[in-house]
Amino acid sequence: MTAEPLLTGRGVVKSYGQIPALRGVSVDVAEGEIVAVTGPSGCGKSTLLHCLAGILTPDAGEVSYRGERIERRSEAERSLLRRSEFGVLFQFGQLVPELTIAENVALPLMLGGTGRRQAHTAALTWLDRLGVAHLADDLPGAVSGGEQQRTALARALVTEPRVLFADEPTGALDTLAGEQVLDHLLRVTQDQGTAVIIVTHDARVAAYAAREFALRDGEHDPSGVGIGSVRRGRRARGEVATEARAR
Amino acid sequence: MKPGALLRLALAGSRTDTLRVVLTAVSAALAMLAILAAATVVAIPELGSSPDDAAAWNVQYTVAYLREPGLRPGVTVALVLLVIPALVLAAQCGRLGAPARDRRLASIRLAGATPRQTMTLVAVETGVASALGALIALGTYLLGRRLLHNPGPDGRLVLPTDVLPPWWVLALLTASLPLLATGIAVVALRRVSVGPFGVVRRQRAESPRIWPGLLVMPGIAVIAVLEPISAYADNRDVALPAAVFLGLVATGALMTVIGVVFGTGWISHRAGQTLARYARRAPAMLAGRRLMADPWAGSRAFAVVLTCVAFGAAAAGVKAAFAANFAVEDEANRLTAEANGEEFVPRTDLDFYYNAFDLINVAVAVAALIAAGGLLVTIAEGIVSRRRTYAHLSASGVPRSVLRRATMWQALAPVVPASVVAAVAGAALPRALFGSSVTGGGYDSVPEVTLSVPIPFGDLAMLSGGAVVVVAAVVMVSLLFLRPSTHPSELRTG
Repeated sequence: MTAEPLLTGRGVVKSYGQIPALRGVSVDVAEGEIVAVTGPSGCGKSTLLHCLAGILTPDAGEVSYRGERIERRSEAERSLLRRSEFGVLFQFGQLVPELTIAENVALPLMLGGTGRRQAHTAALTWLDRLGVAHLADDLPGAVSGGEQQRTALARALVTEPRVLFADEPTGALDTLAGEQVLDHLLRVTQDQGTAVIIVTHDARVAAYAAREFALRDGEHDPSGVGIGSVRRGRRARGEVATEARAR
Repeated sequence: MKPGALLRLALAGSRTDTLRVVLTAVSAALAMLAILAAATVVAIPELGSSPDDAAAWNVQYTVAYLREPGLRPGVTVALVLLVIPALVLAAQCGRLGAPARDRRLASIRLAGATPRQTMTLVAVETGVASALGALIALGTYLLGRRLLHNPGPDGRLVLPTDVLPPWWVLALLTASLPLLATGIAVVALRRVSVGPFGVVRRQRAESPRIWPGLLVMPGIAVIAVLEPISAYADNRDVALPAAVFLGLVATGALMTVIGVVFGTGWISHRAGQTLARYARRAPAMLAGRRLMADPWAGSRAFAVVLTCVAFGAAAAGVKAAFAANFAVEDEANRLTAEANGEEFVPRTDLDFYYNAFDLINVAVAVAALIAAGGLLVTIAEGIVSRRRTYAHLSASGVPRSVLRRATMWQALAPVVPASVVAAVAGAALPRALFGSSVTGGGYDSVPEVTLSVPIPFGDLAMLSGGAVVVVAAVVMVSLLFLRPSTHPSELRTG
């Protein structure tokens, strides 16, 4: 990697009480890069993602975005950063159940001061890009898990963030719906040059990333990479997409 | 299931479950104390056939409301009415820590319990907690009456500590309360189904209609017909039985209160629709959609507060009517004295009547305080049960201040119009009963004196405003639960 990294973690340490989750992890993410954070359950993947996104503050170490330390910023400043520069996508349960699909997507824009009508129009554009515009007036509970996740993706991307953090984004979906979400995620983020950090233990998901960053017991495990490499090769040859379409 | 196993499973759980049991027991104890106090007042022996007869007075008491048999039913009714907010508080405490309990119940179902068995567990938990509360209250009552039995130098008592209801009445009341609380819990669970994978609460799918709220009108009408009925009876020299009169007043008041409470569902829905349609900012939009999603939550949470407002407004209206009556009487007496060349001496016993209204206001304030406790539990539980959504929103960069404002909007949007409606409906009841003006004099050489009964706008504004302030204060306190509910650890909550 030659360019200046967009997001950097240096010696990130985080514990929950007496239980260490991260033991000095360092990672760089470049502009537009797609990185899969992989490893077994409980190895600290989500904690690393939360620290890099400014959701958690590390006990030690530093996290920098565009060369500026973010872990020292106030909660309000980090919230603003997450709302404007970052997008966050979780496994499930992130949509406000009472808001319509369009309102859910418009929410981050409204919070940023955009007028309601303008935010709604932008939300419809994003829903259209992700193929769920016809659900704009439905409530989240009335649509499928895959459609909910595409809505959540639209909400994460509507502010055109520079980094998208995705924590097991397809963990609650069936294979086909999961691959549809990932196809959309890949296409849209590549279109706008958004860097993506995906936490996963699924080889299918890891295969979408350009690079894997493996963790084991809270530490970087360079030998652990490769869970997605076989499928990454097959994806490159178009075999995986063919398989998904065949299903 | 054997009773031992039932009890063990019903009372198992985390600290929140223990807190729920304790709070249910405390609210049951409050209700039981009010019931026992009412039973004690009823147990004061009747000394004469006519309550107006001074010989019938129980002179051992310093307080007129206990001494005079004609005033004691009012005290009894006021004490029994205090049971309602205490029982509502118990029902609201039942929802405390609901998500953790739901997971526990689902696990029990997964282990093979039938739906009926899991429902029985919930009912037993309420029943046991209420029984505990009732027994504590009984003990406190028996101990308290000994400790408070303190005759003054003249041998008179402030409280009726010299009488004790019969033992079978005490036993019946102590047994009835847990049964009543269990019954309420079972009714509250009618929309809940516990499955092996979780608990489903069926919400009413239909939007609230306005017609239950319109019950206020026939309620007022029932009271409005009392005056013509009484006049008709007077013209025919027939005495309207007191039971009929009180029955119609109670029916009218009950219909009005039910109308206010159920009408709040419609008000919540309308307020939600308006906010959702016209809100320019995210907090109001969030609140609007939440109100539309569960408009009955407002009517459930604010029922007792609004009942207090309606009751207080009715009392303010009665006080205004009494004051107008006294003024007319005074004016007529002054004119009579003037005509006869005598000195006019105004009435001096008005403080007694006005003190009665102060007592009613104290009862309303106590009920409102208990209602505020229930409201706190409901709003805090609402925040805690939505912690996953809140944590995700917070992680996505939604500031907590937005969630705070949304919660405030959600509470105040329905309660502001609903408290005004409750105050107006409550004030309309005495207006319907006593009319808008009072007349006196009109005999011999004394001209007829007519005074209009003023609408107690000040009192009504204070009641409505007070309700809004109480709700706002409760929301502020409940927002303390927002910070832990948006903590990143909630992102991992399964």
